[in-house]
Amino acid sequence: MRPLIPPTAGRRLRALAAVAIATTLLAASACGGDSGGDSGSANGEVTLRFTWWGGDTRTKLTQQAIDAYQKDHPNVKIKGEFGEWSGYWDKLATTVAANDAPDIIQMDEKYLREYADRGALLDLKKAEGLDTGKFENDTLSAGEFDGGLYGLNAGINSFAIVANPAVFKAAGVALPDDTTWTWDDYNRIAAELSTKLNGKGWGTGAPGTNEAALNLWARQHGESLWTPDGKLGVSPGQVTAFYQNLLKLRDAKAIPSAEFVSQDMNAALDQGAMATGKLAMSWMWSNQLNAMSKAAGQELKLLRVPSVEGKASANGSYYKGSMFWSISSRSKHQKEAAEFVNYLANSTAAGSILLAERGVPPNTEIRAAVTPKLAPADAASAKFIQDIGKELGNPSPAPPVGGGQVEKIIQRYTTEVLFGRQTPDKAAQGFIDEVNGELK
Amino acid sequence: MSALGELSALGRKKPAGQKKDNLAAYLFLSPWLLGLFAITIGPMIASLYLAFTDYNLIQAPEWIGFENFTRMLSDERLHNSLRVTFTYVFVSVPLQLAVALLLAVVLDRGVRGMAFYRSIFYLPSLLGSSVAIAILWRQVFGTEGLLNQVLALVGIDGKGWISDPSTALGTLVVLNVWTFGSPMVIFLAGLRQIPTMYYEAASVDGAGVLGRFFRITLPLLTPIIFFNLVLQIIHAFQSFTQAFVVSGGTGGPSDSTMFFTLYLYDRGFGNFDMGYASAMAWFLLVIIGAFTAANFFASKYWVFYDD
Repeated sequence: MRPLIPPTAGRRLRALAAVAIATTLLAASACGGDSGGDSGSANGEVTLRFTWWGGDTRTKLTQQAIDAYQKDHPNVKIKGEFGEWSGYWDKLATTVAANDAPDIIQMDEKYLREYADRGALLDLKKAEGLDTGKFENDTLSAGEFDGGLYGLNAGINSFAIVANPAVFKAAGVALPDDTTWTWDDYNRIAAELSTKLNGKGWGTGAPGTNEAALNLWARQHGESLWTPDGKLGVSPGQVTAFYQNLLKLRDAKAIPSAEFVSQDMNAALDQGAMATGKLAMSWMWSNQLNAMSKAAGQELKLLRVPSVEGKASANGSYYKGSMFWSISSRSKHQKEAAEFVNYLANSTAAGSILLAERGVPPNTEIRAAVTPKLAPADAASAKFIQDIGKELGNPSPAPPVGGGQVEKIIQRYTTEVLFGRQTPDKAAQGFIDEVNGELK
Repeated sequence: MSALGELSALGRKKPAGQKKDNLAAYLFLSPWLLGLFAITIGPMIASLYLAFTDYNLIQAPEWIGFENFTRMLSDERLHNSLRVTFTYVFVSVPLQLAVALLLAVVLDRGVRGMAFYRSIFYLPSLLGSSVAIAILWRQVFGTEGLLNQVLALVGIDGKGWISDPSTALGTLVVLNVWTFGSPMVIFLAGLRQIPTMYYEAASVDGAGVLGRFFRITLPLLTPIIFFNLVLQIIHAFQSFTQAFVVSGGTGGPSDSTMFFTLYLYDRGFGNFDMGYASAMAWFLLVIIGAFTAANFFASKYWVFYDD
């Protein structure tokens, strides 16, 4: 019998099949992702999905806390889903839309209302087994609105400048006195650092790669990014002034080139210019000191942000809930999820693993228990938070629904200004119009 | 005789046999049909409905009529995304096809180890829209990327190609041109169809290489060029992965790589604006449909069918 397919065609077909398989695999890898999977089974075992953003340090610590919990609760299995900040929100929105939201969600202030207003989050006041009695006054309020508690404060932080003393030393520049420095001092010192580093690094990262620096600027000038009634509170004049100062920094070469800033803007924490020792100073949240120090392999130092008059008490700083624990309103295991969140927030065991990586614990008992155990970097950020306590002004109003977009918007206009494609006043107006357009 | 008998027998039995055949065909097609209706047609109908609603992914959609479509008229970022997409399509597709045609003609001249070259050149087409290649692209065109290191060797100061709004789209065009393999393979097949006697006759008449290319190859290849053009234009309009990964999901810097598809995704999943995103998707379908129709219309004037 003659074979149906001639040998050469057979070979060709086989090659084709190989190509087809390879293509399918590529396509599959491009889609990636996990398909949730239903939790719960006959023998009372419960699987909770827990999602967070953050770098390696956070992931390791969080996994340790999960392991410890699972040991004590053999019927609960917790599946961690984690990623970098930049892709986190797209993924969360997609899973929530697909009715496949993780049970426990690490939430940010920017998106809290967005999700809570749409009924995606559980009112934690109604959750069984979650105790907030030991929380410091005021630390709950940021997650509270319309009479419900939708996010439980996971740690306190503050926006600050992180300095790399080794780079300062290499440049032969003294660390500034951060209780008295002004914006002019900041600009001058950063430019001097760049000059002395002579191409090996720069004085500072650009303010304006997220909205927090603009908020501080506004607060120093009697305004604020958001108003308590959920509107944009910053005027075109102050955004213009903020961008004019950014141009001063650029022209003095105090910050890296526009291309570099734009590339660094969404880099992962441990791959950014601060972590690789190219910057003497950068803007970031105080709780990131530990992760950033680890990534840089250096002991970094937190500095108060500069102010207009050189008075730390007038630099606009405020305590922020660094992040929140939320539970999906559609979780099938709300009780177990609440118990786990209770463990994260109120147990010394979890506290001594997580330490202050997510910010200073808002539970005062845990804070007291944890403080002696803190690694130098966490201890330093905890001390920083304590030190600035007496200098703080009013709390900063929470972003309204739609306010989560402000980060991407300011990044875009900062890029426009740095590349000289828009003047500060035009960018300021564009920024304000666009943010107002997003608010619903 | 017996064959003829069989044929006539077949003819007589036709109705019953055909029904059976059809059933078998549909049975074999059923997995695909199931996919078509569940994964393609179903969601398409749903998105057509959503295009007329305000839908934030979490709460039930709310009917708002044509509001999403009128909103597109005044959405400057959408206009920018159209500019970016059109630039990308109109620059990268002709370049890609030119490179594909050139290499196909060279390979067709009987290069030794042709199968090897064909596979090598085809490989980027398979990889081109994958995440891995887009990540590689970031490394190649970054401030400290491969390209700048090579440029430094010849004393040229490079730049952050991907992080500069004026060059970022260019890197994506290069990426698309690089995936010339699939049109090239189709061109190669087309070149095989051109009878060699035309070339022989032309050579006898003293036509040079260029003359033969422009007078014989190109006209006889126009149906294939047309086919590739339609395919690649549609493909380019739908590009997403490259821009998404290369720009870190932002369409940046400064929206310079914000393809229409990327903006659609940003609206839908980044801004909880799925109604608007659905309307955008249907708008894109109309654009692609219009271009394809225009292509077919224009083809009457330049495509030459040798039959």
